[in-house]
Amino acid sequence: MPEPIIQVDHLYYKYDTRDTYAVEDVNLTIEKGEFVAIIGQNGSGKTTMVKHFNGLHKPTKGRVIVEGKDTKDLLTSDLARSVGYVFQNPDHQIFAETVLDEVSFGPKNLGFSEEHIKEVVNKVLEEMALSGKEEDMPFQLSRGQRQRLAVASVLAMEPSILIIDEPTTGQDWRESIALMELVNELNRKGHTCIVTTHNMNLVSLYARRVIVMRQAKIALDGPTQDVFREVDELRKAAIKPPDVYALTEAIYPGIKLDKPILPDDLAELIIRNQKVGR
Amino acid sequence: MPIIEVENVSFKYSEAKEQALKGVSLTVEPGEFVGIIGPTGAGKSTLCWVLSGVIPQIIQGKLSGKVLVKGLPSNKTPVATISQVIGLVQQDAAAQLLMTDIEKEIVFPLENLGLPREEIDKRLNYILDLVNLRSERLRHPFYLSGGQKQRVAVAAALAMEPEILILDEATSELDPIGAEEVHDLAYSLRKQGKTVLMVEHNIDELAQVADRVIVMDQGSILMDAPIRKVLAQVDKLCELGIYPPQVTQTAHALQKLGVPVGEVPITLEEAIDLLKRISQDA
Repeated sequence: MPEPIIQVDHLYYKYDTRDTYAVEDVNLTIEKGEFVAIIGQNGSGKTTMVKHFNGLHKPTKGRVIVEGKDTKDLLTSDLARSVGYVFQNPDHQIFAETVLDEVSFGPKNLGFSEEHIKEVVNKVLEEMALSGKEEDMPFQLSRGQRQRLAVASVLAMEPSILIIDEPTTGQDWRESIALMELVNELNRKGHTCIVTTHNMNLVSLYARRVIVMRQAKIALDGPTQDVFREVDELRKAAIKPPDVYALTEAIYPGIKLDKPILPDDLAELIIRNQKVGR
Repeated sequence: MPIIEVENVSFKYSEAKEQALKGVSLTVEPGEFVGIIGPTGAGKSTLCWVLSGVIPQIIQGKLSGKVLVKGLPSNKTPVATISQVIGLVQQDAAAQLLMTDIEKEIVFPLENLGLPREEIDKRLNYILDLVNLRSERLRHPFYLSGGQKQRVAVAAALAMEPEILILDEATSELDPIGAEEVHDLAYSLRKQGKTVLMVEHNIDELAQVADRVIVMDQGSILMDAPIRKVLAQVDKLCELGIYPPQVTQTAHALQKLGVPVGEVPITLEEAIDLLKRISQDA
Protein backbone atom coordinates (compact mmCIF):
# COMPACT_ATOMS: atom_id res chain seq x y z
CA MET A 1 0.00 0.00 0.00
CA PRO A 2 1.68 3.25 -1.11
CA GLU A 3 2.05 5.77 1.66
CA PRO A 4 2.81 9.37 0.68
CA ILE A 5 5.72 10.82 2.67
CA ILE A 6 6.12 14.10 0.77
CA GLN A 7 3.24 15.90 -0.92
CA VAL A 8 3.79 19.06 -2.93
CA ASP A 9 0.64 20.89 -3.85
CA HIS A 10 0.72 23.84 -6.29
CA LEU A 11 4.07 25.00 -4.92
CA TYR A 12 5.35 28.42 -5.96
CA TYR A 13 8.53 30.00 -4.64
CA LYS A 14 10.09 33.36 -5.44
CA TYR A 15 13.36 34.72 -4.07
CA ASP A 16 13.07 38.31 -2.81
CA THR A 17 15.75 39.42 -5.24
CA ARG A 18 14.12 37.97 -8.36
CA ASP A 19 11.08 38.85 -10.42
CA THR A 20 10.31 35.36 -11.64
CA TYR A 21 9.40 32.21 -9.75
CA ALA A 22 12.25 29.80 -8.98
CA VAL A 23 9.63 27.07 -8.56
CA GLU A 24 6.32 27.46 -10.35
CA ASP A 25 3.19 25.40 -9.84
CA VAL A 26 4.91 22.16 -8.91
CA ASN A 27 2.77 19.17 -7.94
CA LEU A 28 4.14 15.82 -6.90
CA THR A 29 3.83 13.02 -4.39
CA ILE A 30 6.74 10.93 -3.16
CA GLU A 31 5.85 7.62 -1.51
CA LYS A 32 7.65 6.16 1.44
CA GLY A 33 10.67 4.10 0.34
CA GLU A 34 11.06 5.62 -3.13
CA PHE A 35 14.45 6.43 -4.67
CA VAL A 36 13.97 9.57 -6.73
CA ALA A 37 16.45 11.54 -8.82
CA ILE A 38 15.73 15.18 -9.57
CA ILE A 39 17.60 16.39 -12.63
CA GLY A 40 17.72 19.54 -14.74
CA GLN A 41 20.00 22.36 -15.79
CA ASN A 42 21.64 24.71 -13.29
CA GLY A 43 18.99 27.23 -12.28
CA SER A 44 16.06 24.98 -13.21
CA GLY A 45 14.74 24.98 -9.63
CA LYS A 46 15.97 21.60 -8.34
CA THR A 47 17.71 22.79 -5.20
CA THR A 48 15.06 25.41 -4.47
CA MET A 49 12.41 22.72 -4.58
CA VAL A 50 14.19 20.17 -2.39
CA LYS A 51 14.97 22.85 0.21
CA HIS A 52 11.21 22.96 0.79
CA PHE A 53 11.27 19.34 1.92
CA ASN A 54 13.30 20.13 5.04
CA GLY A 55 11.75 23.55 5.63
CA LEU A 56 14.79 25.61 4.58
CA HIS A 57 12.37 27.33 2.22
CA LYS A 58 8.71 27.98 2.95
CA PRO A 59 6.31 28.19 -0.01
CA THR A 60 5.47 31.60 -1.42
CA LYS A 61 2.21 29.94 -2.48
CA GLY A 62 0.92 26.38 -2.20
CA ARG A 63 1.68 23.64 0.32
CA VAL A 64 4.37 21.12 1.16
CA ILE A 65 3.33 18.24 3.44
CA VAL A 66 6.09 16.08 4.97
CA GLU A 67 5.04 12.97 6.91
CA GLY A 68 1.53 14.37 7.13
CA LYS A 69 2.52 17.81 8.47
CA ASP A 70 2.42 21.13 6.64
CA THR A 71 6.01 22.47 6.64
CA LYS A 72 4.76 26.03 7.15
CA ASP A 73 3.87 25.08 10.73
CA LEU A 74 7.24 23.45 11.38
CA LEU A 75 10.72 24.68 12.21
CA THR A 76 13.68 23.30 10.27
CA SER A 77 14.80 21.77 13.58
CA ASP A 78 11.47 19.90 13.88
CA LEU A 79 12.02 18.48 10.40
CA ALA A 80 15.65 17.52 11.06
CA ARG A 81 14.59 14.27 12.65
CA SER A 82 12.71 13.16 9.54
CA VAL A 83 14.67 14.84 6.78
CA GLY A 84 18.43 14.61 6.41
CA TYR A 85 19.91 17.08 3.95
CA VAL A 86 23.43 16.76 2.59
CA PHE A 87 24.60 20.05 1.11
CA GLN A 88 26.57 20.40 -2.13
CA ASN A 89 29.20 22.33 -0.23
CA PRO A 90 30.19 20.41 2.91
CA ASP A 91 31.59 23.56 4.51
CA HIS A 92 28.04 24.89 4.76
CA GLN A 93 27.25 22.33 7.40
CA ILE A 94 30.48 21.32 9.16
CA PHE A 95 31.08 23.17 12.44
CA ALA A 96 32.54 20.90 15.14
CA GLU A 97 36.19 20.74 16.22
CA THR A 98 36.68 17.04 15.72
CA VAL A 99 35.30 14.50 13.30
CA LEU A 100 33.83 12.52 16.18
CA ASP A 101 31.98 15.54 17.60
CA GLU A 102 30.66 16.41 14.16
CA VAL A 103 29.15 12.98 13.60
CA SER A 104 27.87 12.50 17.17
CA PHE A 105 26.17 15.89 17.36
CA GLY A 106 22.99 14.95 15.51
CA PRO A 107 22.24 11.64 17.23
CA LYS A 108 23.04 13.21 20.65
CA ASN A 109 20.57 15.98 19.96
CA LEU A 110 17.92 13.48 18.98
CA GLY A 111 18.39 11.75 22.35
CA PHE A 112 19.74 8.42 21.05
CA SER A 113 21.21 6.20 23.78
CA GLU A 114 24.96 6.37 24.29
CA GLU A 115 25.37 2.81 23.11
CA HIS A 116 23.33 3.42 19.96
CA ILE A 117 25.29 6.60 19.22
CA LYS A 118 28.57 4.74 19.43
CA GLU A 119 27.29 2.05 17.14
CA VAL A 120 25.92 4.31 14.40
CA VAL A 121 28.88 6.69 14.57
CA ASN A 122 31.39 3.87 14.12
CA LYS A 123 29.36 2.40 11.30
CA VAL A 124 29.00 5.58 9.28
CA LEU A 125 32.64 6.57 9.82
CA GLU A 126 33.76 3.21 8.58
CA GLU A 127 31.47 3.29 5.57
CA MET A 128 32.59 6.80 4.68
CA ALA A 129 36.27 5.72 4.98
CA LEU A 130 36.85 8.07 7.90
CA SER A 131 37.72 5.52 10.59
CA GLY A 132 40.88 6.50 12.45
CA LYS A 133 40.20 10.19 11.84
CA GLU A 134 37.89 10.62 14.85
CA GLU A 135 40.14 13.18 16.53
CA ASP A 136 41.11 15.08 13.36
CA MET A 137 39.90 18.62 12.76
CA PRO A 138 37.31 18.66 9.98
CA PHE A 139 38.94 21.58 8.18
CA GLN A 140 42.22 19.69 7.88
CA LEU A 141 40.49 17.00 5.86
CA SER A 142 40.51 17.01 2.06
CA ARG A 143 37.47 18.32 0.25
CA GLY A 144 36.34 14.78 -0.60
CA GLN A 145 36.74 13.71 3.02
CA ARG A 146 34.78 16.74 4.26
CA GLN A 147 32.01 15.85 1.82
CA ARG A 148 31.91 12.32 3.23
CA LEU A 149 32.00 13.69 6.78
CA ALA A 150 28.97 15.84 5.99
CA VAL A 151 27.15 12.78 4.71
CA ALA A 152 28.23 10.70 7.71
CA SER A 153 26.83 13.21 10.17
CA VAL A 154 23.47 13.24 8.39
CA LEU A 155 23.34 9.45 8.09
CA ALA A 156 24.10 9.09 11.80
CA MET A 157 20.67 10.59 12.54
CA GLU A 158 19.00 7.82 10.52
CA PRO A 159 16.47 10.19 8.95
CA SER A 160 13.45 8.63 7.25
CA ILE A 161 13.96 10.95 4.27
CA LEU A 162 17.44 11.55 2.90
CA ILE A 163 18.18 14.36 0.46
CA ILE A 164 21.55 14.37 -1.29
CA ASP A 165 22.26 17.54 -3.24
CA GLU A 166 24.77 16.65 -5.99
CA PRO A 167 26.79 13.73 -4.54
CA THR A 168 29.49 14.05 -7.21
CA THR A 169 30.73 17.52 -6.23
CA GLY A 170 34.43 17.22 -5.40
CA GLN A 171 34.28 13.41 -5.56
CA ASP A 172 35.60 11.00 -8.11
CA TRP A 173 33.47 8.16 -9.45
CA ARG A 174 34.58 5.64 -6.84
CA GLU A 175 33.82 8.03 -3.98
CA SER A 176 30.46 8.96 -5.47
CA ILE A 177 29.58 5.28 -5.79
CA ALA A 178 30.64 4.59 -2.18
CA LEU A 179 28.30 7.34 -1.05
CA MET A 180 25.45 6.16 -3.25
CA GLU A 181 25.87 2.56 -2.11
CA LEU A 182 25.37 3.72 1.45
CA VAL A 183 22.32 5.72 0.45
CA ASN A 184 21.05 2.71 -1.47
CA GLU A 185 21.44 0.50 1.58
CA LEU A 186 19.34 2.92 3.61
CA ASN A 187 16.79 2.92 0.80
CA ARG A 188 16.55 -0.87 0.96
CA LYS A 189 15.83 -0.52 4.67
CA GLY A 190 12.88 1.69 3.81
CA HIS A 191 14.35 5.18 3.90
CA THR A 192 13.08 7.51 1.20
CA CYS A 193 15.98 8.87 -0.87
CA ILE A 194 16.03 11.94 -3.06
CA VAL A 195 19.12 12.88 -5.03
CA THR A 196 19.77 15.87 -7.27
CA THR A 197 22.59 15.37 -9.75
CA HIS A 198 24.00 16.11 -13.19
CA ASN A 199 25.49 12.64 -13.47
CA MET A 200 23.13 10.51 -15.53
CA ASN A 201 25.16 7.35 -14.98
CA LEU A 202 24.51 7.65 -11.25
CA VAL A 203 20.83 8.23 -11.91
CA SER A 204 20.52 5.12 -14.04
CA LEU A 205 22.36 3.00 -11.49
CA TYR A 206 20.26 3.99 -8.48
CA ALA A 207 17.06 5.93 -9.10
CA ARG A 208 13.82 4.17 -9.91
CA ARG A 209 12.00 7.42 -10.59
CA VAL A 210 13.24 10.56 -12.31
CA ILE A 211 11.83 14.06 -12.09
CA VAL A 212 13.08 16.51 -14.71
CA MET A 213 12.89 20.22 -13.89
CA ARG A 214 12.97 22.88 -16.57
CA GLN A 215 12.48 26.60 -16.05
CA ALA A 216 11.03 26.23 -12.54
CA LYS A 217 8.53 23.55 -13.58
CA ILE A 218 8.38 19.78 -13.74
CA ALA A 219 8.93 18.76 -17.36
CA LEU A 220 8.90 14.98 -16.88
CA ASP A 221 8.17 12.64 -13.98
CA GLY A 222 8.16 8.86 -14.27
CA PRO A 223 10.08 5.59 -13.98
CA THR A 224 13.78 6.04 -14.87
CA GLN A 225 13.57 3.75 -17.91
CA ASP A 226 10.67 5.74 -19.37
CA VAL A 227 12.02 9.23 -18.67
CA PHE A 228 15.39 8.42 -20.24
CA ARG A 229 13.68 7.60 -23.53
CA GLU A 230 11.95 10.99 -23.83
CA VAL A 231 14.90 12.23 -25.87
CA ASP A 232 13.22 15.38 -27.24
CA GLU A 233 11.87 16.58 -23.90
CA LEU A 234 15.23 15.83 -22.26
CA ARG A 235 17.07 17.83 -24.89
CA LYS A 236 14.91 20.87 -24.07
CA ALA A 237 15.97 20.44 -20.44
CA ALA A 238 19.62 20.20 -21.54
CA ILE A 239 19.91 16.56 -20.52
CA LYS A 240 21.58 13.78 -22.43
CA PRO A 241 20.41 10.35 -21.26
CA PRO A 242 22.95 7.55 -20.70
CA ASP A 243 24.15 6.12 -24.03
CA VAL A 244 22.77 2.67 -23.30
CA TYR A 245 19.25 4.07 -23.82
CA ALA A 246 20.09 5.41 -27.27
CA LEU A 247 21.78 2.11 -28.03
CA THR A 248 18.76 0.08 -26.89
CA GLU A 249 16.40 2.28 -28.90
CA ALA A 250 18.58 1.89 -32.03
CA ILE A 251 18.56 -1.91 -31.81
CA TYR A 252 15.04 -2.45 -30.47
CA PRO A 253 12.95 0.60 -31.36
CA GLY A 254 10.04 1.09 -28.97
CA ILE A 255 10.87 -1.95 -26.79
CA LYS A 256 9.13 -1.92 -23.44
CA LEU A 257 11.49 -1.82 -20.45
CA ASP A 258 10.24 -2.75 -17.00
CA LYS A 259 13.30 -1.47 -15.15
CA PRO A 260 16.27 0.87 -15.74
CA ILE A 261 18.69 -0.66 -18.25
CA LEU A 262 22.47 -0.92 -17.83
CA PRO A 263 25.13 -2.13 -20.31
CA ASP A 264 25.11 -5.69 -18.89
CA ASP A 265 21.31 -5.83 -19.22
CA LEU A 266 21.46 -4.80 -22.88
CA ALA A 267 24.11 -7.42 -23.60
CA GLU A 268 21.90 -10.10 -22.02
CA LEU A 269 18.87 -8.84 -23.90
CA ILE A 270 20.74 -9.21 -27.20
CA ILE A 271 21.83 -12.74 -26.33
CA ARG A 272 18.29 -13.70 -25.30
CA ASN A 273 16.84 -12.35 -28.53
CA GLN A 274 19.48 -14.19 -30.56
CA LYS A 275 18.41 -17.46 -28.95
CA VAL A 276 14.74 -16.72 -29.61
CA GLY A 277 15.60 -15.89 -33.22
CA ARG A 278 17.27 -19.24 -33.83
CA MET B 1 60.24 17.63 -31.38
CA PRO B 2 57.98 17.21 -28.35
CA ILE B 3 56.38 20.37 -26.98
CA ILE B 4 56.24 18.89 -23.47
CA GLU B 5 58.97 16.68 -22.02
CA VAL B 6 58.63 15.30 -18.51
CA GLU B 7 61.38 13.03 -17.30
CA ASN B 8 61.29 11.11 -14.04
CA VAL B 9 59.48 13.85 -12.12
CA SER B 10 58.66 13.45 -8.45
CA PHE B 11 57.08 16.00 -6.16
CA LYS B 12 56.17 16.16 -2.49
CA TYR B 13 54.12 19.05 -1.07
CA SER B 14 55.85 20.75 1.89
CA GLU B 15 53.25 19.58 4.42
CA ALA B 16 52.65 16.12 2.95
CA LYS B 17 53.99 12.79 4.10
CA GLU B 18 53.81 11.10 0.72
CA GLN B 19 54.92 12.10 -2.74
CA ALA B 20 52.14 13.44 -4.96
CA LEU B 21 54.10 12.47 -8.10
CA LYS B 22 56.41 9.46 -8.19
CA GLY B 23 58.79 9.32 -11.12
CA VAL B 24 56.43 10.48 -13.86
CA SER B 25 57.69 10.59 -17.46
CA LEU B 26 55.83 11.59 -20.59
CA THR B 27 56.19 13.51 -23.82
CA VAL B 28 53.54 15.35 -25.80
CA GLU B 29 53.91 16.26 -29.46
CA PRO B 30 52.58 19.55 -30.81
CA GLY B 31 48.90 19.28 -31.83
CA GLU B 32 48.07 16.24 -29.69
CA PHE B 33 44.86 16.11 -27.65
CA VAL B 34 45.67 14.18 -24.49
CA GLY B 35 43.14 13.15 -21.84
CA ILE B 36 44.27 12.60 -18.27
CA ILE B 37 42.10 10.47 -15.99
CA GLY B 38 42.41 8.89 -12.58
CA PRO B 39 40.85 8.91 -9.12
CA THR B 40 41.19 11.75 -6.58
CA GLY B 41 44.74 11.92 -5.31
CA ALA B 42 46.19 10.44 -8.51
CA GLY B 43 48.38 13.52 -9.04
CA LYS B 44 46.55 14.93 -12.08
CA SER B 45 46.33 18.53 -10.86
CA THR B 46 49.83 18.34 -9.41
CA LEU B 47 51.12 17.39 -12.86
CA CYS B 48 49.27 20.38 -14.41
CA TRP B 49 50.84 22.71 -11.85
CA VAL B 50 54.31 21.32 -12.45
CA LEU B 51 53.91 21.86 -16.20
CA SER B 52 52.79 25.46 -15.71
CA GLY B 53 55.54 26.26 -13.20
CA VAL B 54 53.03 26.97 -10.42
CA ILE B 55 54.92 24.13 -8.75
CA PRO B 56 57.57 24.85 -7.44
CA GLN B 57 57.42 28.63 -7.97
CA ILE B 58 54.16 29.41 -6.15
CA ILE B 59 53.25 26.15 -4.43
CA GLN B 60 56.36 24.84 -2.75
CA GLY B 61 57.72 21.41 -2.00
CA LYS B 62 60.39 18.99 -3.06
CA LEU B 63 60.61 18.65 -6.86
CA SER B 64 63.01 16.44 -8.77
CA GLY B 65 63.36 15.41 -12.41
CA LYS B 66 63.19 17.41 -15.61
CA VAL B 67 60.27 19.39 -17.07
CA LEU B 68 60.67 21.19 -20.38
CA VAL B 69 57.80 23.11 -21.93
CA LYS B 70 58.67 24.20 -25.45
CA GLY B 71 62.26 23.86 -24.33
CA LEU B 72 61.80 26.06 -21.23
CA PRO B 73 62.53 24.53 -17.83
CA SER B 74 59.22 25.10 -16.00
CA ASN B 75 60.81 25.27 -12.55
CA LYS B 76 62.99 28.29 -13.42
CA THR B 77 61.08 30.14 -16.12
CA PRO B 78 58.88 32.87 -14.60
CA VAL B 79 55.22 31.75 -14.42
CA ALA B 80 54.20 34.87 -16.37
CA THR B 81 56.47 33.75 -19.23
CA ILE B 82 55.21 30.15 -19.14
CA SER B 83 51.63 31.41 -19.20
CA GLN B 84 52.37 32.64 -22.73
CA VAL B 85 53.15 29.04 -23.68
CA ILE B 86 50.67 27.17 -21.46
CA GLY B 87 47.16 28.38 -20.62
CA LEU B 88 45.82 26.66 -17.52
CA VAL B 89 42.07 26.65 -16.82
CA GLN B 90 40.98 25.07 -13.57
CA GLN B 91 37.78 23.66 -12.15
CA ASP B 92 36.71 26.81 -10.33
CA ALA B 93 38.11 29.24 -12.92
CA ALA B 94 34.69 30.90 -13.09
CA ALA B 95 35.02 31.81 -9.42
CA GLN B 96 38.30 33.55 -10.17
CA LEU B 97 36.86 36.03 -12.65
CA LEU B 98 37.55 39.40 -11.12
CA MET B 99 36.69 42.17 -13.57
CA THR B 100 33.36 43.92 -14.08
CA ASP B 101 32.89 42.81 -17.67
CA ILE B 102 34.12 40.10 -19.98
CA GLU B 103 36.14 42.38 -22.19
CA LYS B 104 38.13 43.69 -19.21
CA GLU B 105 38.64 40.12 -18.00
CA ILE B 106 40.30 39.19 -21.30
CA VAL B 107 42.23 42.43 -21.72
CA PHE B 108 43.63 42.71 -18.18
CA PRO B 109 46.42 40.10 -18.47
CA LEU B 110 47.36 41.47 -21.90
CA GLU B 111 47.76 44.96 -20.48
CA ASN B 112 49.92 43.45 -17.77
CA LEU B 113 52.16 42.05 -20.47
CA GLY B 114 52.55 45.60 -21.74
CA LEU B 115 51.30 44.77 -25.23
CA PRO B 116 50.51 47.66 -27.60
CA ARG B 117 46.83 48.71 -27.78
CA GLU B 118 46.38 47.52 -31.41
CA GLU B 119 47.70 44.07 -30.55
CA ILE B 120 45.37 43.85 -27.53
CA ASP B 121 42.36 44.83 -29.66
CA LYS B 122 43.31 42.34 -32.34
CA ARG B 123 43.54 39.48 -29.86
CA LEU B 124 40.37 40.51 -28.05
CA ASN B 125 38.36 40.52 -31.26
CA TYR B 126 39.71 37.19 -32.37
CA ILE B 127 39.05 35.55 -28.98
CA LEU B 128 35.52 36.90 -28.59
CA ASP B 129 34.53 35.21 -31.83
CA LEU B 130 36.40 32.04 -31.02
CA VAL B 131 34.59 31.53 -27.71
CA ASN B 132 31.38 32.93 -29.14
CA LEU B 133 30.90 35.65 -26.54
CA ARG B 134 30.93 38.77 -28.71
CA SER B 135 27.36 39.76 -27.89
CA GLU B 136 28.05 39.29 -24.18
CA ARG B 137 31.34 41.17 -24.09
CA LEU B 138 30.19 44.08 -21.94
CA ARG B 139 28.22 42.01 -19.46
CA HIS B 140 29.25 41.42 -15.86
CA PRO B 141 30.42 37.81 -15.35
CA PHE B 142 27.78 37.53 -12.61
CA TYR B 143 25.02 37.45 -15.24
CA LEU B 144 26.54 34.64 -17.29
CA SER B 145 25.71 30.95 -17.15
CA GLY B 146 28.29 28.52 -15.77
CA GLY B 147 29.28 27.42 -19.26
CA GLN B 148 29.68 31.03 -20.41
CA LYS B 149 31.80 31.90 -17.37
CA GLN B 150 34.06 28.95 -17.94
CA ARG B 151 34.40 29.99 -21.59
CA VAL B 152 35.46 33.44 -20.39
CA ALA B 153 38.15 31.75 -18.30
CA VAL B 154 39.28 29.80 -21.36
CA ALA B 155 39.23 33.03 -23.39
CA ALA B 156 41.39 34.83 -20.84
CA ALA B 157 43.91 31.99 -20.99
CA LEU B 158 43.84 31.89 -24.79
CA ALA B 159 44.33 35.63 -25.15
CA MET B 160 47.92 35.02 -24.07
CA GLU B 161 48.19 32.96 -27.28
CA PRO B 162 49.61 29.87 -25.58
CA GLU B 163 50.43 26.91 -27.80
CA ILE B 164 49.26 24.54 -25.09
CA LEU B 165 45.93 24.66 -23.28
CA ILE B 166 45.43 22.65 -20.09
CA LEU B 167 41.87 22.13 -18.88
CA ASP B 168 41.98 20.76 -15.33
CA GLU B 169 38.46 19.50 -14.70
CA ALA B 170 37.31 22.73 -16.25
CA THR B 171 33.78 21.38 -16.69
CA SER B 172 33.19 19.46 -13.49
CA GLU B 173 30.92 22.09 -11.97
CA LEU B 174 28.92 22.66 -15.13
CA ASP B 175 25.68 21.04 -16.20
CA PRO B 176 25.84 18.83 -19.31
CA ILE B 177 25.15 21.65 -21.79
CA GLY B 178 27.71 23.94 -20.16
CA ALA B 179 30.25 21.12 -20.26
CA GLU B 180 29.54 20.52 -23.93
CA GLU B 181 30.16 24.21 -24.74
CA VAL B 182 33.62 24.02 -23.18
CA HIS B 183 34.43 20.67 -24.79
CA ASP B 184 33.40 21.94 -28.21
CA LEU B 185 35.67 24.90 -27.72
CA ALA B 186 38.58 22.63 -26.74
CA TYR B 187 37.94 20.55 -29.83
CA SER B 188 37.92 23.55 -32.13
CA LEU B 189 41.29 24.60 -30.66
CA ARG B 190 42.75 21.24 -31.42
CA LYS B 191 41.61 21.61 -35.02
CA GLN B 192 43.61 24.83 -35.12
CA GLY B 193 46.70 22.91 -34.15
CA LYS B 194 46.84 23.79 -30.45
CA THR B 195 48.07 21.15 -28.05
CA VAL B 196 45.38 20.33 -25.49
CA LEU B 197 45.70 18.45 -22.20
CA MET B 198 42.37 17.72 -20.59
CA VAL B 199 41.94 16.34 -17.08
CA GLU B 200 38.43 14.98 -17.03
CA HIS B 201 36.26 12.68 -14.90
CA ASN B 202 33.77 12.16 -17.68
CA ILE B 203 35.42 9.58 -19.86
CA ASP B 204 32.48 9.59 -22.29
CA GLU B 205 33.51 13.11 -23.20
CA LEU B 206 37.15 12.18 -23.62
CA ALA B 207 36.15 9.35 -25.94
CA GLN B 208 34.72 11.98 -28.31
CA VAL B 209 37.80 14.21 -28.45
CA ALA B 210 41.08 12.73 -27.20
CA ASP B 211 43.69 10.93 -29.32
CA ARG B 212 45.49 9.56 -26.36
CA VAL B 213 44.77 8.98 -22.69
CA ILE B 214 47.03 8.93 -19.68
CA VAL B 215 45.67 7.02 -16.67
CA MET B 216 47.15 8.07 -13.34
CA ASP B 217 46.83 6.57 -9.89
CA GLN B 218 48.62 7.44 -6.65
CA GLY B 219 51.21 9.66 -8.27
CA SER B 220 52.17 7.33 -11.11
CA ILE B 221 51.21 6.82 -14.73
CA LEU B 222 49.53 3.41 -15.13
CA MET B 223 48.61 3.60 -18.80
CA ASP B 224 49.55 5.93 -21.63
CA ALA B 225 48.08 4.81 -24.92
CA PRO B 226 45.69 5.66 -27.77
CA ILE B 227 42.22 6.16 -26.31
CA ARG B 228 40.71 3.04 -27.85
CA LYS B 229 43.36 0.86 -26.27
CA VAL B 230 42.78 2.41 -22.85
CA LEU B 231 38.98 2.19 -22.99
CA ALA B 232 39.14 -1.47 -24.02
CA GLN B 233 40.55 -2.22 -20.55
CA VAL B 234 37.05 -2.14 -19.04
CA ASP B 235 37.83 -4.29 -15.99
CA LYS B 236 41.03 -2.42 -15.24
CA LEU B 237 39.24 0.95 -15.42
CA CYS B 238 36.46 -0.25 -13.13
CA GLU B 239 39.10 -1.43 -10.67
CA LEU B 240 40.53 2.09 -10.69
CA GLY B 241 37.12 3.55 -10.01
CA ILE B 242 36.67 4.93 -13.52
CA TYR B 243 33.31 4.35 -15.22
CA PRO B 244 34.02 3.33 -18.83
CA PRO B 245 31.68 4.57 -21.59
CA GLN B 246 28.44 2.58 -21.55
CA VAL B 247 28.84 1.71 -25.23
CA THR B 248 32.23 0.15 -24.49
CA GLN B 249 30.82 -1.63 -21.44
CA THR B 250 28.02 -3.12 -23.53
CA ALA B 251 30.47 -4.57 -26.08
CA HIS B 252 32.66 -5.83 -23.25
CA ALA B 253 29.67 -7.56 -21.62
CA LEU B 254 28.81 -9.25 -24.94
CA GLN B 255 32.40 -10.40 -25.27
CA LYS B 256 32.20 -11.95 -21.80
CA LEU B 257 29.02 -13.74 -22.86
CA GLY B 258 30.95 -15.32 -25.71
CA VAL B 259 30.04 -13.01 -28.59
CA PRO B 260 33.04 -11.98 -30.69
CA VAL B 261 32.98 -8.19 -31.02
CA GLY B 262 36.38 -7.41 -32.55
CA GLU B 263 37.63 -3.92 -31.81
CA VAL B 264 35.52 -2.43 -28.99
CA PRO B 265 33.40 0.60 -29.92
CA ILE B 266 34.04 3.88 -28.12
CA THR B 267 31.36 6.06 -29.66
CA LEU B 268 27.60 5.60 -29.87
CA GLU B 269 27.70 5.37 -33.68
CA GLU B 270 30.30 2.61 -33.63
CA ALA B 271 28.34 0.72 -30.99
CA ILE B 272 25.07 0.95 -32.93
CA ASP B 273 26.79 -0.49 -36.03
CA LEU B 274 28.29 -3.32 -34.01
CA LEU B 275 25.12 -4.26 -32.13
CA LYS B 276 22.99 -4.11 -35.28
CA ARG B 277 25.40 -6.52 -36.92
CA ILE B 278 25.39 -8.86 -33.92
CA SER B 279 21.63 -8.83 -33.41
CA GLN B 280 21.01 -9.50 -37.12
CA ASP B 281 23.47 -12.38 -37.17
CA ALA B 282 21.00 -14.50 -35.27
